[in-house]
Amino acid sequence: MPATKLNLINRIFNGKNAVIGIPYLWLLVLFLFPFLIVLKISFAEPIVAIPPFSSFFIWGESFWPTIQASLYNYIFIIEDSLYINAYLASLKIAVISTLITLVIGYAIAYSIAKSPTRWRGILLMLVILPFWTSFLIRVYAWIGILKTEGLLNLLLLSLGITDQPLTIMNTNLAVYIGIVYSYLPFMILPIYANIEKLNISLIEAAADLGCRPFKTFWQITIPLSMPGILAGCFLVFIPAVGEFVIPDLLGGTETLMIGKVLWLEFFANRDWPLASAVAVILLALLIIPIMYYQKTQEKAIK
Amino acid sequence: MNKFTKFNLMALVVGFSFLYVPIILLVIFSFNESKLVTVWAGFSTKWYAELFNNQSIKDATWVTIQVAFISSTIATFLGTIAGIVITRFGNFKGRTLFSGMIYAPMVVPEVIIGLSLLLTFVALAMDRGIFTVTLAHITFSMCYVAVVVQSRMSSYDDSITEAALDLGSTPLKTFFVITLPIIMPAVISGWLLSFTLSLDDLVIASFTSGPGATTLPMKIYSMVRLGVTPEINAVSTILVGLVALGVVSAALINKYQKQQTNPQT
Amino acid sequence: MKMNETIKPFIQFRQVTKKFGDFTAINNLTLDIYNNEFFSLLGPSGCGKTTLLRMLAGFEKPTDGRILLDGEDITDIPPHLRPINMMFQSYALFPHMTVEKNIAFGLKQDKLPSNKINQRVDEMLDLVELTEFAKRKPNQLSGGQCQRVALARSLAKHPKLLLLDEPLGALDKRLRDQTQFELMNIQEKLGITFVIVTHDQEEAMTVSNRIGVMDKGKVIQVATPNHIYEAPATKSVAEFIGNVNLFAGIYKGFNDTGSKLQCEHSDAVVYSSQSIDVDIGANIWLAVRPEKLEISKTIPDSEYNILKGQVIDIGYGGSFSTYHVKLPNGNMLSAIRANRERTSEHSITWNDDVYLHWSAKSAIVLTN
Repeated sequence: MPATKLNLINRIFNGKNAVIGIPYLWLLVLFLFPFLIVLKISFAEPIVAIPPFSSFFIWGESFWPTIQASLYNYIFIIEDSLYINAYLASLKIAVISTLITLVIGYAIAYSIAKSPTRWRGILLMLVILPFWTSFLIRVYAWIGILKTEGLLNLLLLSLGITDQPLTIMNTNLAVYIGIVYSYLPFMILPIYANIEKLNISLIEAAADLGCRPFKTFWQITIPLSMPGILAGCFLVFIPAVGEFVIPDLLGGTETLMIGKVLWLEFFANRDWPLASAVAVILLALLIIPIMYYQKTQEKAIK
Repeated sequence: MNKFTKFNLMALVVGFSFLYVPIILLVIFSFNESKLVTVWAGFSTKWYAELFNNQSIKDATWVTIQVAFISSTIATFLGTIAGIVITRFGNFKGRTLFSGMIYAPMVVPEVIIGLSLLLTFVALAMDRGIFTVTLAHITFSMCYVAVVVQSRMSSYDDSITEAALDLGSTPLKTFFVITLPIIMPAVISGWLLSFTLSLDDLVIASFTSGPGATTLPMKIYSMVRLGVTPEINAVSTILVGLVALGVVSAALINKYQKQQTNPQT
Repeated sequence: MKMNETIKPFIQFRQVTKKFGDFTAINNLTLDIYNNEFFSLLGPSGCGKTTLLRMLAGFEKPTDGRILLDGEDITDIPPHLRPINMMFQSYALFPHMTVEKNIAFGLKQDKLPSNKINQRVDEMLDLVELTEFAKRKPNQLSGGQCQRVALARSLAKHPKLLLLDEPLGALDKRLRDQTQFELMNIQEKLGITFVIVTHDQEEAMTVSNRIGVMDKGKVIQVATPNHIYEAPATKSVAEFIGNVNLFAGIYKGFNDTGSKLQCEHSDAVVYSSQSIDVDIGANIWLAVRPEKLEISKTIPDSEYNILKGQVIDIGYGGSFSTYHVKLPNGNMLSAIRANRERTSEHSITWNDDVYLHWSAKSAIVLTN
């Protein structure tokens, strides 16, 4: 073999590349490649067969297969207002939940950062603990609280705050509560990490120059904690858009989030191609925030 | 300005109540005499007893434990490598794609990941069962491990590695004898994180699992859909208890190790 | 230590260039370092001295050029295979190992028998006077002790060459001064070549046999400390090392007195005994160190090199005082004088009119 070719092979298969290659290959095959498959199947039609969709490639007598693809699913989605409403509803619910989570999460993160040093470890652990507890279980816990005969209504009625039980369960409000509750740790941790690293002397400098505490907060602390805020918002917003468990368990029939739509199309209707198309559009909607998130994470490394 | 104000205290009290009251109520009502989860009828452990007789729950638990152990271990291996590659290997070709694939799974909705993996398994003509669920869990868990390791590596003093090389240790040996022991707490955290994520996953398991491989979350979910009973509370309480135990001991181990190895930074 | 040109250099940088993307850190650099030298690389931040050191250690690869050690081309040899050891700025001690194990680490890589390793470790502990601390971990040591461990660890393998990356930066002044002398003693005793990177010119002058002054990726001057101080090659070297008074002006020729310079913005004509090879009318500078400027209230007895000015500021330094004198043309000069007498009627104070004088031998001429 000519020396240059051997050299090239040596350079490709050297130790460093092998190390990079192991996780890289895994992710390519089991993360990236699956998206392509979803894309491919979104062009198919549902049929009664196993698997329940038509083939993409038709192998005939010629060497190259013919491609059987249709945009039927996409047209269906775009024309049916159900799906469009579901996408919009999902975005709206995700945005509002993210904002609520941001306000509550920032307050908690900030308070932890300002608390006496010996408390902080414990407080953080208390924040992380629910996160490590089952997501499903925590959402389930709210059912018992928010039901018409649930504990919240029991409390409100017995205290005389209301005289009729509030219908919270199976409404959008329950979904908001569920999302905020479940994703709160995701918001608190990045913000806390950011605030903790903030140079206290910057805040002291502002105070020294005559800036009142409230103003200092808005003009100095918040902008400086922006990376944490952004990270937290991405970590909440993006998955919340496609959330399934919470709208399913806590939401009502009026709450049609796109994650639930996808689930129903797949499991209830056995319409894999349509579910795939729903997934592709959802991914397309989220791709910009996802890339933005990845950029901010990369920047944090440098 | 840096005083811990009443407002801060209130925020913490309200915030933590919000986080914990549901769980506490859950635990309380798992000991409820009656079948209701909202009206207290007396203390009883009968639901726990029923749990032990519930074969499907026991099977599901066993499946979940197997999947969690195996997937966390492999995910930790892959994720640690990925985390180190991302921080140390500079600008290699295809780095952007690699880092994209590392961070994306944390934010991409689970329904999309679940669907895409299932369709892949179908395309590869793989039967769905414990094996496929494990593969799926490894895939998303390794990304979390990578992030934890990457975060640890960013505060790692590179000159320690250089010192080892300088003293004659090969790069591979340096990794095992110097780097790995130092970042071990982060690696272990990564393992625990993967374990929890796997233990907890409902959506992706639903897509990628198969007959005979029902996981505990899947089982709980189907029980919930049938109706809320204290038996679910009992299962939940056990899980919460185990996790709490795990997290607290991990935190204590972490604190102990910090005192042992880290200089006064 | 005299440099004999017939001795072959121990370290050779041959036209070494290092680029980081668009940025050129080292620019076509050629440098020789000799065996058993204590050599300093000195320069401001960003001049490339650390990059050069790291290339010698093997942590950076030159974009172009070759590096030779003892005649052998080591450019492509990875760091763990080079007979060179380095003492890191952050000490880089292994936090999970005891002092003993840290020092033994390099020896273990060479697969020496354990009794030999133990013997060597004990020797090193003795050398840096840390024998009682052998079983401690780095987080139980003070900064100065960590630094000694780092030194012991880097010397344990008796390398041909020891590289030191700003090793004394984190120490307080007293410890720094003490350690400087210890380093010099150890270097002489063990006969190892030391290359040290520092931005502290006092340190470089104290410890080195020779100094290489760097700026913007190039070596500007390589000479003994004395030479660097008294005969800097360029303005930047003169200004970087110690304090200096610079007179800009036009070259007026060379006569019995020396090189003649017509000062900018004034009538003054000053001399240096050094001859220089430039055309008449060229822009040159005269450099005089503050301690060579004599300051007095009475007119000095000399025909030339006398300037009159007013004392604007005085810096009292205990053993000496620095006088900042303003000339009529606006230039500020500084003169240093030892405080020879405890009190004196001849003391100079603020706003005094004074005369500054220096001998032609004390001034040097610079073209750039």
